[in-house]
Amino acid sequence: MEVFKADVAIVGAGGGGLRAAIAVAESDPTLKIALISKVLPMRSHTVAAEGGAAAVTRPEDSLEHHFNDTVGGGDWLCEQDVVEYFVAHAHEEMVQMEHWGCPWSRKEDGHANTRAFGGMKIERTWFAADKTGFHMLHTLFQTSIKYPSIKRFDEYFCCDLMVEDGRCQGVLAIEIATGEFTLIEAKAVIIATGGAGRVFRENTNGGIVTGDGMALAYRHGVPLRDMEFVQYHPTCMPRTGLLFTEACRGEGGLLLNKDGYRYLQDYGLGPPEDKPRNKFMELGPRDRLSQAFWHEQQKGRTIKGPFGSVVNLDLRHLGEAYLRERLPQIYELAEEFMGIDPAHECIPVVPGVHYTMGGILADGKTASSLPGLYSVGECSSVGIHGANRLGSNSLTELIVFGKVAGLEAVKFAKSVAISNPGAIRKQAEAAQARALGLVNNPGGTERMAVLRTEMAQSMEDGCGIYRLGTTMQATCNKIDELRQRYKNLKLEDKSKVYNTEWLLGIELGYLLEVAQSMVYSAINRKESRGSHQRLDGFEERDDANYLKHSLAYYAGDGAPRIEYGDVKITKSQPGKRAYGAAGVQADEERKKKGAANG
Amino acid sequence: MSNRRPYVRSMDGWWKRDAYFIRYMAREITAVFVALYAIVLLFGVVRLSQGEAAFNGWLQYLKTPWMLVFHVIVLAVFCYHTWSWFNIMPKTMPIMFVGGKRLQPGVITGTGLAASVIACLAVLFIVRGMS
Amino acid sequence: MADTEKIIEIQVLRYRPEQDKEPVLQSYKVPFTDDMSVLQGLQYIKDFLDGTVSFRWSCRMAICGSCGMMIDGKPKLSCKTFLREYYPQGLKVEALAHLPIERDLMVSVEDFVTKLESIKPYIIPKEPRTLEQGEYLQTPQQRDMYEQFSSCINCMLCYAACPQYGLNPKFTGPGILALMHRYNVDSRDGGQAERNELGYADEGYWGCTAVGYCSEVCPKGVDPANAINQNKMNSAINYFTRFITPGGADK
Repeated sequence: MEVFKADVAIVGAGGGGLRAAIAVAESDPTLKIALISKVLPMRSHTVAAEGGAAAVTRPEDSLEHHFNDTVGGGDWLCEQDVVEYFVAHAHEEMVQMEHWGCPWSRKEDGHANTRAFGGMKIERTWFAADKTGFHMLHTLFQTSIKYPSIKRFDEYFCCDLMVEDGRCQGVLAIEIATGEFTLIEAKAVIIATGGAGRVFRENTNGGIVTGDGMALAYRHGVPLRDMEFVQYHPTCMPRTGLLFTEACRGEGGLLLNKDGYRYLQDYGLGPPEDKPRNKFMELGPRDRLSQAFWHEQQKGRTIKGPFGSVVNLDLRHLGEAYLRERLPQIYELAEEFMGIDPAHECIPVVPGVHYTMGGILADGKTASSLPGLYSVGECSSVGIHGANRLGSNSLTELIVFGKVAGLEAVKFAKSVAISNPGAIRKQAEAAQARALGLVNNPGGTERMAVLRTEMAQSMEDGCGIYRLGTTMQATCNKIDELRQRYKNLKLEDKSKVYNTEWLLGIELGYLLEVAQSMVYSAINRKESRGSHQRLDGFEERDDANYLKHSLAYYAGDGAPRIEYGDVKITKSQPGKRAYGAAGVQADEERKKKGAANG
Repeated sequence: MSNRRPYVRSMDGWWKRDAYFIRYMAREITAVFVALYAIVLLFGVVRLSQGEAAFNGWLQYLKTPWMLVFHVIVLAVFCYHTWSWFNIMPKTMPIMFVGGKRLQPGVITGTGLAASVIACLAVLFIVRGMS
Repeated sequence: MADTEKIIEIQVLRYRPEQDKEPVLQSYKVPFTDDMSVLQGLQYIKDFLDGTVSFRWSCRMAICGSCGMMIDGKPKLSCKTFLREYYPQGLKVEALAHLPIERDLMVSVEDFVTKLESIKPYIIPKEPRTLEQGEYLQTPQQRDMYEQFSSCINCMLCYAACPQYGLNPKFTGPGILALMHRYNVDSRDGGQAERNELGYADEGYWGCTAVGYCSEVCPKGVDPANAINQNKMNSAINYFTRFITPGGADK
């Protein structure tokens, strides 16, 4: 097999991976970087992000506000020291992106504009029309071309990590075009492979979001943290799950039930006002909005659509000209996919799985428990999202921690050498055999699509917006069963050149393992917090027992072992998570308490 | 040694594959007719330099049946040439703002076509007036 | 859904280099509903009829640029082309034209990527600025000058549309030249002279004969034909004045 010797290998060339690669290249142009991606970099799912990236900008805003919004939004499950670092370094990264050419939307005076976003006290979300992820990704990719030390491995599929002497020392990748294997030795490896939303049936994610890096680290003993926290975005297209950005609501969109009533006011997010008000109503956090939908559905107040219950997203009052300027992409989505003109009709929307808050356990410097292995982005749990992510924090996360991961990887890579290349080579050959075993499985009986559909349906049933012990148990059993049935996977395509069926088969393995870590983490968390909400006697937040992170450890064939880790609290003690008028009151009380203690 | 064997498809007859390409080829061929007619006019200029008799002989020739047919064809081709010329013209111009709003391609095309019609009428009028 | 099941015939141009001498059409009967895209039709084929059909896709919302293919002879994104438009006659799906077929509906993207890397697709600042100084100022109107050209999703439909690229693969092509133009007219950029070396060459703007089909098929309204052809005037002027002014009469 081919062998490539790199100093730093980065798996995944989305926003996080590209930012890390640039950071390494700028830090030391003599280091060799292998940037490995199973798709061309501009296809990475960062491209689909719409709304924006948050950074404290306005004079009336402060790092403390952003910090409090994020920690409260995460229902106090955040690593607060990491959040402090995050909010403090957001603005400079936005400026860096701008210098690299990112077409941020501007105010008349030429400065970058900021808009309101869910759960944020002050407008601080930088945006590029409603295609922020697209513009950020293309800016990063095109900028990365400046650096000759970045060697890209486009359409190379990573199928295993090389771990030797207790360190991560490289990866094994399949060149998709030829089906041949390449061993990439690296002194430091950064995983930036994105989330795992495809384990669910209705999701906003692209086909490639299959939890690859999470599964790879997991299999090598790195715990996956807080996997039960899965974000349901409140406004997705019915059936396809395609995203209608939160910016629709930031610009003034309303959510209406079948009576044309702004139902969010019934769920502690009111009172409603004529203009959008931060942290009120439609600008509440995503978990609360999705949960409100569920309740409306129980009450029979949602609208029956051809694909199930929906509510209406009303943008009509904004007018066509404004919509075409500020929300052009969602205008096209509604027109082309649904035949709806948002300036004249409401858009039916439904919550769908959008983001994986949990991921590879990473400390504040993106390092995992495995020396030499770092992670950044949605695949990583660096500790800023907690139990619920605020919109526009994740695009910022990519560039703030992408840079950190790159610099940390540089430091580590310079301090070590590849040890025992012979043993690594043997590992690579074993991994190659395992991957090929999937194609050559003689006794295969199970159709991939069947396993995938059963998994996705079961996850939707058991790990939905509201959860019950009984349905979660059923899902645990189902995923256990699917993992066994996966061993009998039948693949029709035995070719080598662009055998996409084979790779989908490997991805299914990743999905099943990540799904298992999610549902077992969920069933063991006997409380409700953020996006993990239960209706079976554990409806309240239980700080005494569960102000802790879930840690899922791979246990081979069996169910993962779930342990717990502490949460780092610095400035913000867990309080009432309140929005709307109740939120204003909670803020006042907190201020008074702070002054009294001060 | 990989098993890749990229397959390159032939471009033979490419212009027949899509109505858009046929229209494009038609547009390009109109340039040939423009060149042909320039030669006809060049003859006219040469005949003019040879005196009134020669010039009148040339004019008479232009009125013969085959030449009339030729002129009708050329006129039709020139109309298509003009139409396709101004249709593609907006593509050659940078983004322009007029009174804060972006200048639409249709305006450029429309203006060009209108100018052509006016110019043709003006020439016709002048020539009529002279004879 | 209460629809009685409708079946549509999808013909796919197959090509498996390890077994096919040349591409061959294969027909599949796919049950569908009115909201299904061609991509979903292909996914049905791969899931239930024939796992060996290979094609690229990801986002399903016309922003990642993966799923470009020829649908009844026209370059389209399969995720936002709907099967109902081809019922009951059926449809033919082939790999993007003018590009080598690697496998089934997957074309070779190497040439595109190489060209993308060759045009200096990044800001070469007109004036330096530190991060502490904050963002470069750029008015909404300055942004409008290039935003359209920055919307290219690299789907390569324009390459499948451009006969000049099909006839002469050395031509840089519509999408990449549009990207180059995006940087040239960005108010923050000062690299036009460097990029014009490629732009003003035969493989640059002059490889284009203003067919204009690229702009017709572009799913994002980038208008590469405009990006290219508005530069020919400057290029021509530059050609004649380069002996007079040092470095030519560049912008």
